[in-house]
Amino acid sequence: MKAVLTLALMTSLAASAQVTENQLEQPPGQDWLHYNGDYQSKRFSTLDQITTANVGSLVNKWTFHVPGQGGLESVPVVVNGVMYLTQPNAIYALDGRTGRQIWSYHHLLGKVKDREGPHRGAAVYKNRVYFTTTDDYLYALDAGSGNVVWQVKIGETDEGYSSPAAPLIAKGKVIVGISPGDRGLNGFLDAYDAETGRLLWRYYPIPKPGEPGSESWAGDSWQHAGGDTWLTGSYDPEQNLLIWGIGNPSPDFNGEVRAGDNLYTECVVALDLDTGKMKWYFQFTPHDTMDWDAVEIPILVDAPYKGQQRKLLVQADRNGFYYVLDRLTGEFLHSAQFERLQNWTDGIDEKGRPRRKAGMDPTLTGVKICPSSIGAANWQSPTYDPDTGWFYFVALEGCGMATMNTEKFRPGGYQYRAGGDVLLKDGTWEVSVRALELTTGKEMWKTVRVGSTNLGGGLVATKGGVIFSGESPGEFVALDPKTGRVLWHYNTGQEINAQPMTYMVGGRQFVAIESNSDVFGFALFEPEKPAK
Amino acid sequence: MKWRVAAYLLAFEVLLTAKGQAPPKNPVGRGPEVVAAGRAVFNQTCTACHGVDGGEGERAPALVGDRRFFRLSEGALYGTIEDGIPGTAMVAMGKSMDDKDVWRIVVFIRAMRGSASDTDVAGNVDHGKEIFAGKGGCVKCHAIQGKGGTIGPDLSNVGAQMTLNHLRDSLVTATPIAPGYKPITVVLKNGETVKGIAKNEDAFSLQVLDYDDRLHLIDKADVQREDIGTQSLMPHDYDKQLTKDELQDLLAMLAKQTRDGGRKRIDGDGEVGR
Repeated sequence: MKAVLTLALMTSLAASAQVTENQLEQPPGQDWLHYNGDYQSKRFSTLDQITTANVGSLVNKWTFHVPGQGGLESVPVVVNGVMYLTQPNAIYALDGRTGRQIWSYHHLLGKVKDREGPHRGAAVYKNRVYFTTTDDYLYALDAGSGNVVWQVKIGETDEGYSSPAAPLIAKGKVIVGISPGDRGLNGFLDAYDAETGRLLWRYYPIPKPGEPGSESWAGDSWQHAGGDTWLTGSYDPEQNLLIWGIGNPSPDFNGEVRAGDNLYTECVVALDLDTGKMKWYFQFTPHDTMDWDAVEIPILVDAPYKGQQRKLLVQADRNGFYYVLDRLTGEFLHSAQFERLQNWTDGIDEKGRPRRKAGMDPTLTGVKICPSSIGAANWQSPTYDPDTGWFYFVALEGCGMATMNTEKFRPGGYQYRAGGDVLLKDGTWEVSVRALELTTGKEMWKTVRVGSTNLGGGLVATKGGVIFSGESPGEFVALDPKTGRVLWHYNTGQEINAQPMTYMVGGRQFVAIESNSDVFGFALFEPEKPAK
Repeated sequence: MKWRVAAYLLAFEVLLTAKGQAPPKNPVGRGPEVVAAGRAVFNQTCTACHGVDGGEGERAPALVGDRRFFRLSEGALYGTIEDGIPGTAMVAMGKSMDDKDVWRIVVFIRAMRGSASDTDVAGNVDHGKEIFAGKGGCVKCHAIQGKGGTIGPDLSNVGAQMTLNHLRDSLVTATPIAPGYKPITVVLKNGETVKGIAKNEDAFSLQVLDYDDRLHLIDKADVQREDIGTQSLMPHDYDKQLTKDELQDLLAMLAKQTRDGGRKRIDGDGEVGR
């Protein structure tokens, strides 16, 4: 056996390997180890084989069809050329050069009704790959064979919980969120021991009576209060802080039954990785009545701010504003309105609290509120390019005619939204990719996703000077980060609702994106040599 | 189409219970002696159509093998035998058979078709674990609940995935190599050698899992020679390597292996998807 091992180490071939903590702390290059590319969620790859100058010769090298699946939303991770790709309740290991399947694992649901999506990805650590299922299992699989190492139940599916987010792994802890999905269930964020699957801590964003923040909930409204953790957050290794966005309060549209700020919904919270204890929070939208989940991915950047080097957190929020915070304390530093149609507030005060206008909550007869409940931004991954110093994200200009009702909470996973909005997809409705200057939020350029009425997929930036962007109607596009000019495009022929990523194997840089039921791998054109 | 079949079977179940009677209850038990008795009755009564041991008959479907949408619940099987299937050659046997014999046949059919974990298997499970880890050498290639080798299929759920017969066959007869488990030795043009199992292969690339759980992504253009084994790495002579009791204990242990705390893969008519 030893001889085989020696040979394996000598070989120039890619081989699955132990992913170390140190590797997890590096920016994405050859490997892509996190849903968001790195702990800081910058999604900036150090790869530079594909450049502004040569991206025009990018070609589709392979396509992998995910059987029986549509509307894929996950981001693959890649370790030494092996790609791990999830769909709801299944995971595939693929050869990253060819798209050929190595193994797959399909989780068997106890009940067919538990088959709901979406699912957004896997995480890797040592020689294991981790993912969750729609019926709330967290799996650890052997990365080489796909064998199950352990599985644990993380939520009660019958109550309405689901687990769509890709786990994040830091210092041997698997961090997983939950989606009560607008069903009046209180969210939580869990840490599990990567080795054994043992629950280490659970953080509840909704405080219980007597706990700090509980005064922000009228009566017993905290019992069915929401606060999802349905998207993967960020991690600051230096501060040992998880930095996570928290979802909407329940019921979504009827705020009358939950008077108060409804902490810690619509917040970004910083949690000690070791204990799960909250160190600070910042609330974007106190007492939200428009389902503006604040789960948009927070990007962690160290940069000068007003002459001082600061540890910053930036986020384009669903409520229509871009925020700059100090991530050591959660202190509000700056905001900028990016949603031009925004009509619910007279701006943000010096503490970061919106000056909410009277009468801008949903009513029984309807109020036109901008942004709509879809939000001015959403779960589409943003990116930060240190070479330009700009933040890039997918923005939506649009309004909704918002109504509320008196829907009551019902146990069993039923919706508890108490209203909704009719999306006003008129001439003002517009999806675009935008570049903002990091610390001021000043718009540097905007490129409209022509023909898009849905947000579509997110972004990845690269050292080669290319931003990749997946558009809802199926166009996969390369943009110039300096100008927003389209450099290349490819019609995948299917709807894109996923984030692109990039990796390198066998000396070639690949870019991959999921589109409806397929994964596409792209690389620069090279003439194929005929077989001998 | 699945839902139509399921709907038909559901309707059939409703029909059975629509007589206003409580669902029939098995009065004979489910142990190995009942299976044996059921087999005897079956082979005296049903073989003209269904063949010996339900293998295949002249005028009716085989009752074993891999088919979807088998009737599996005891109630559905009992009702079918008792009342027949209208419009087919399956006649109502209820009037001509002792009720307990009908139930014995039901238990026999379920034992043939049900997953191994559904079947009452005699044997010492704890000793089976020892055989798995020791004399049988199984753990070198197979893992159960995360412990064991990776070169063979994960057996954590094998009791729910296989029938008992299939499980026994895989230990004592040469079976085709499962896809993704072909033994392979690849010699590359640079002189390196990789040994393991071919997880996948086409004319252009090859994906190998070596004996140290490492994946190798290989371009066919880099391959000097590849030798694909024609024999499975899985020994198929456990009836010779082990004593009769040891083999039975191993079978009993494997039959118990289910994921999710014994949640059944097959739990009723129309849901069978083996």
